[in-house]
Amino acid sequence: MVLEIDGLYKAYTKGILVNDNISLSLRQGEIFGLLGPNGAGKTTLVNQIIGLVKPDAGRITLDGVDIIAKPGYARQACSLQAQTQVPITGLTARQAVELVGRVRGGDAGSVRERASKLIDQLEMEEWANKAAESFSGGMRRLVAFCMAVVVPGRIVILDEPTNDVDPLRRRLLWQQVRALIGMGSTVLLVTHNVLEAERAVDRLAIVNQGKVVGMGTPGSLKENGDENIRFELVLEPRAEVPAIPEFIQSTVITGRRLVNRLAEREMAPAMQWARSLKEEGVVEEFSIGPTTLEDVYVRMVGHADTQEMPENEVNNDSIAS
Amino acid sequence: MTQSLRSYVLMLKWQALSKKPILALTLVVQVMIAAGFVFGLGFFYREITPDMAKFITTGAPTIILLTVGLVLVPQIVAMARTEGTFDYIWSLPVPRMVYVAADATIWVLIALPGLVLALIIGAIRYNFGLEISPLVVPAVLLISATGMFLGYSIAHGAPRPEMANLATQIIVFAIMLFSPVMYPIEQLPDWMAAIHRVLPVKYMADLSRGTLTDMDVNLGLAFGVVGAWCLVGFIMTYALVRRRR
Repeated sequence: MVLEIDGLYKAYTKGILVNDNISLSLRQGEIFGLLGPNGAGKTTLVNQIIGLVKPDAGRITLDGVDIIAKPGYARQACSLQAQTQVPITGLTARQAVELVGRVRGGDAGSVRERASKLIDQLEMEEWANKAAESFSGGMRRLVAFCMAVVVPGRIVILDEPTNDVDPLRRRLLWQQVRALIGMGSTVLLVTHNVLEAERAVDRLAIVNQGKVVGMGTPGSLKENGDENIRFELVLEPRAEVPAIPEFIQSTVITGRRLVNRLAEREMAPAMQWARSLKEEGVVEEFSIGPTTLEDVYVRMVGHADTQEMPENEVNNDSIAS
Repeated sequence: MTQSLRSYVLMLKWQALSKKPILALTLVVQVMIAAGFVFGLGFFYREITPDMAKFITTGAPTIILLTVGLVLVPQIVAMARTEGTFDYIWSLPVPRMVYVAADATIWVLIALPGLVLALIIGAIRYNFGLEISPLVVPAVLLISATGMFLGYSIAHGAPRPEMANLATQIIVFAIMLFSPVMYPIEQLPDWMAAIHRVLPVKYMADLSRGTLTDMDVNLGLAFGVVGAWCLVGFIMTYALVRRRR
């Protein structure tokens, strides 16, 4: 284990726990996701690892070193892309990335080479020598990402790395995250973007209201006995929600969308039910497929982070009506 | 030590680059304040003797350095606190006082041209001579460092960043009008004079007078008192920037 967090508690205001008995560990060379809605306590957890916030109770060890007692060790060993803005006004993208690389102990030559490579691979050449004042939010995030990975730490902590970044560069960014593992780093990815996390992480913890509510690989979290099929109905506008048959295990309703979970053997009656609803003019369309991590997340967190769900996301192997 | 020095040089470069967009404007403002200060004070009096002019002009370095350290720096640091910038800076493997030192260095360098100009303009305009001692270097450094450390303490110690901004408004007013920098301490009421025998402001002015002119001041006492305040500021800043939430 590279990083071990054990029984961590933190309250900023007395009685309101932001982290409530959090225990988790990162294995060498994995991408570990920390998922949860806004205000779940993810950034507070990161700030305790990096030594900005002091836990009320619990232990954090990095390579066996107690980093609550030695925050300096954590800052040497971890490189962070913080959620807040990086202070790069006045600097060009290249200057900012190279300076952090040097601050993190890299020698001038290899830092320059690595910075050029990152700028090239993330297709940022156009901005490389421009002053940061003119950058869009997405470009600032990309520069912040490069600053975190130019001389990567043993642990690279990425707090919402893709916010405001365009879809094409997001793909390039995820390739760079994967490449960090080959360079010997371990990645802690903090996000509320479940779809991206599902593709990127090896293991993850879902955090809600300061507690870890689920932990494992995306696959293991999705396996839940008799509920491994996702069956989605989209109601016609103004249609009433129909009575839910007994073979449906659970239902989450978001606007006109009904996301149901059921056992594989119930697929045939489910299809029949959906077809009849469509004929009756209650349902506009429906699809059936394997459970997604998002379904698991919504069930565990208890409410939908609807803005994160692309409207037309249909699983590849689902059967659309 | 070499590691700290390396970090200092890199942070110095970072801070210098980050001030670039406001550098020209800040320099112009500093120079204007310095010149305006020397000329403007002439309007307070019907007649200014060379001795009075010398007294007033040699107060300018203290006012300029304290305006940067106790007003400009806390305001900019408070703004950075509001934006969460320190959450990033403090995550870097750079000793925090090294960062503070680099930031302070840049601010002193920005303040210096105006300071020198104020002295030159004053000496020419009011026709008096300067007698510059080599001790002016440690004196200016000590005044600057004390101002910066106290400024950093205000900016990081204020429970909310906006409070730091408010505090600087009061401080600038107090320094300009109620401090024996531009006039002798004897002109203050006794109780105010007593306060100023403990505060560093009067002694900062003594430091610049004693090292720039032939005026008779107790330089040893001035170095001692300002040095003590510098130490207090350093310890407060050190404790505050290392504090975890």
